[in-house]
Amino acid sequence: MAVSKEELKKLILEKAINAPKPQLYVKDFYECDPDAKPREVKNAANELVKEGKMDFWSSGSTTMYAAKGRAKNEETR
Amino acid sequence: MAKHNTPMMDELEKGPWPSFVTDLKRQAEKSPQCWDILGQMELSFKDKITHWKHGGIVGVFGYGGGIVGRYSDVPAQFPGVAHFHTVRLNQPSSKFYNTTKLRQVCDLWEKYGSGMTNMHGSTGDLVLLGTRTEHLEPLFYDLTHDLNWDLGGSGSNLRTPSCCLGKARCEWACYDTQAACHGMTMHYQDEIHRPAFPYKFKFKFSGCPNDCVASIARSDLSVIGNWRDNIRIDQAAVKEYAAGNYVANGGAHGPKSTLDIQKDVIDLCPTGCMWLEGGELKIDNAECTRCMHCINMMPRALRPGVVQGATILCGAKAPILDGAQLATMIVPFIEMDPNNDFEQLVEFIESVWDWWMENGKNRERLGETMQRVGLPTFLKVINVDPIPQHVKEPRSNPYVFWAEEEVEGGFERDVKEFRARNAM
Amino acid sequence: MGYDPENPMKDRITDIGPPHYEQFFPAVVKKNYGKWLYHEIIRPGVLMHVSETGDKMYTIRVASARLISVEHIREICDIADKHCDGIVRFTTRNNIEFMVDAESKVQPLLDDLASRGNKFPVGGTGASVSNLVHTQGWIHCHTPATDASGVVKAVMDDLFEYFTSMSLPAKVKIALACCLNMCGAVHCSDIAILGVHRKPPMVDHDTITGVCELPLAISACPLGAVKPTKATNSKGEEIKSVKVNAERCMFCGNCYTMCPSMPLADPDGDGIAILVGGKVSNSKSAPKFSKLVIPFLPNTPPRWPETVEAIRNILEVYAKDARKFERVGEWAERIGWEKFFEKTGIPFTVKSIDDYRLAYDTWRTTTQFKFTSHIK
Repeated sequence: MAVSKEELKKLILEKAINAPKPQLYVKDFYECDPDAKPREVKNAANELVKEGKMDFWSSGSTTMYAAKGRAKNEETR
Repeated sequence: MAKHNTPMMDELEKGPWPSFVTDLKRQAEKSPQCWDILGQMELSFKDKITHWKHGGIVGVFGYGGGIVGRYSDVPAQFPGVAHFHTVRLNQPSSKFYNTTKLRQVCDLWEKYGSGMTNMHGSTGDLVLLGTRTEHLEPLFYDLTHDLNWDLGGSGSNLRTPSCCLGKARCEWACYDTQAACHGMTMHYQDEIHRPAFPYKFKFKFSGCPNDCVASIARSDLSVIGNWRDNIRIDQAAVKEYAAGNYVANGGAHGPKSTLDIQKDVIDLCPTGCMWLEGGELKIDNAECTRCMHCINMMPRALRPGVVQGATILCGAKAPILDGAQLATMIVPFIEMDPNNDFEQLVEFIESVWDWWMENGKNRERLGETMQRVGLPTFLKVINVDPIPQHVKEPRSNPYVFWAEEEVEGGFERDVKEFRARNAM
Repeated sequence: MGYDPENPMKDRITDIGPPHYEQFFPAVVKKNYGKWLYHEIIRPGVLMHVSETGDKMYTIRVASARLISVEHIREICDIADKHCDGIVRFTTRNNIEFMVDAESKVQPLLDDLASRGNKFPVGGTGASVSNLVHTQGWIHCHTPATDASGVVKAVMDDLFEYFTSMSLPAKVKIALACCLNMCGAVHCSDIAILGVHRKPPMVDHDTITGVCELPLAISACPLGAVKPTKATNSKGEEIKSVKVNAERCMFCGNCYTMCPSMPLADPDGDGIAILVGGKVSNSKSAPKFSKLVIPFLPNTPPRWPETVEAIRNILEVYAKDARKFERVGEWAERIGWEKFFEKTGIPFTVKSIDDYRLAYDTWRTTTQFKFTSHIK
């Protein structure tokens, strides 16, 4: 049984804040709720970005997620 | 920003091909940062190495694609290009423009950026080359509000779909490539703008097997127009070709080039399914693989059939990392009906995505996932029945992965019973 | 009105997509959409499309450098306003196409284009060398092993006569990718110009802690050549870092994509490889990859004479030796690759023998071969 969307978002954000590595792939969040469909996890993570709680980080070819302020980039280095 | 001494760049102003250096100098009169582009480029020519570095920035708020961050590694020398981010505008399907819209883009880009563009990027976007971080949000605001236009994809997103010009100008388009490309672009705006996948995913739409957008070489999901009935023949036009009255190959070899139907068409047919009979061209259509050669050679006499649709192929990619792959034929023929919003195509796309999002590894293209799990598994998970058309030839190695339920009596056996009959 | 930095989310518009293509069609396209009957190239660079309705459209194909300024685009717009009712299009291969609805409008347009110096050369149709598809190179990319715009300019200055004529056995598509990531589809081109690195990445222990995710850098390597290690930075601190096993490195640059502290570009290490014989069309033979025939040519800006000469040589030998309608790859396969090397005079080296994954497919498993000068 998948958890609710808000609960899923909470779990994703917790992982983003506490994971040893700051930048995470969307797949890293799948384990937050093994019953959720990949698309639900992706949508929840993207919503957290929209709410300003997470950032995208991109190599140009790959996009990853980081809790607000944790991503490493040129201007914040 | 001052002019730099650029002797090597200046050398590229000579010669008959259009010079990007002359063009940069022209733009520099209005956009002085172009002097710094030329200066840094000159330094790269001297050092034989790039002076750009990557920065991790992705762009406008809420989007995980459409902007690619770039910074100079010599910003003190070339402050005009200290930030040099790329903005990808999603091109209109098949890249027709009116000048009103294009001039709007020009004004926008002179206001917020370097004034330099790529018409177009390899994937298809209209690429605006070089702006600063603080200009991204205002640019995006004006782009969406004043130009009614949006960004394309980058990163682990659905990349901006692209298509050939199809029915707009080509007699061979077997489906409406522009309607399909635009339709899928609109349907999947979220996937284009926000990451959704283990890695990038590309759609490309070609109207016929000539594949003018190279979809078979570079798209994860390649939709190529095809037909399943008989090639249409105008025998009167065949006679004109035979008499040398019509130019060969649509004039590709000059306006005086004529056709020897036997030598240039029939003898080069890969399946040998054509012949001349009493001055008429005959085709055994059941043997035809629709390669387009005869149609390319005699466009006034031959046309694709009328039962038209598309073939779907999956898994093409450039060499990174396991070597390049061409797309593998998966669905031989589907209807491509704009009136039902390409329902069959959408259903197929989502069956592939649902599986790949779950099973693809990070930074693994669909073609690599297909290689890793094998074509039989891929066909099974997307619910496509195996047919001989899926392979060039049957396998030669005999190590078949039989499943327990396929074998009479299953895998469980009693070794004691076995030994009772077969002593050690 | 306009963007308010104090309130960035105000009136925000997202996910509206590109402008709808239909509004940009010329009247003759709108009227004849899906009704085109046949086409003819009436002279190099000029196509005529004829519709079932009897309407005709003439397209003038013009080269561009792809890297173009908005001032140049405005000039394109001026031309389109004057001759083409304000419509213009661009092709997949970075050409500009001006379209008119009557033959009488073709010559005035050609005259106008010709009056603008070398900015708008007409050609790239039929059995020609069409415009080069290429990537960014030193103008914008952070991972290139060679430049793009400069090499393209040098190559096309040299091959100009083949762009403006249709004298080759078949069309020849040349493409350039400035590194092995291959942003362009160069791996299926008649002739591919490919930027290659030849030195393994260095590791910058002073910055790696700040900018890299070590597990990402390690897993980026397809050959397991990047391993975790302890290192000392220039402040004398012991840090977690990586090391590179140079013997296993294939110089793909994938680690640098994921970790900027592992730069591999180098003035002497980097250069160009030439691959030939690819195609994407299904016409006659199936689509095929380009094959590596010259493993390395140096980066010699501003005009890369070695690369220019190598391409002209391949093109001219092909033009002389191939049968009509034969693409470069079809020609090489018919005569055999040993003959390709003999006829072009390109030295065959061990670098052309595949030793990566899936390599066995390319090894010869038959007694059928030709006795060329390679057999002593």
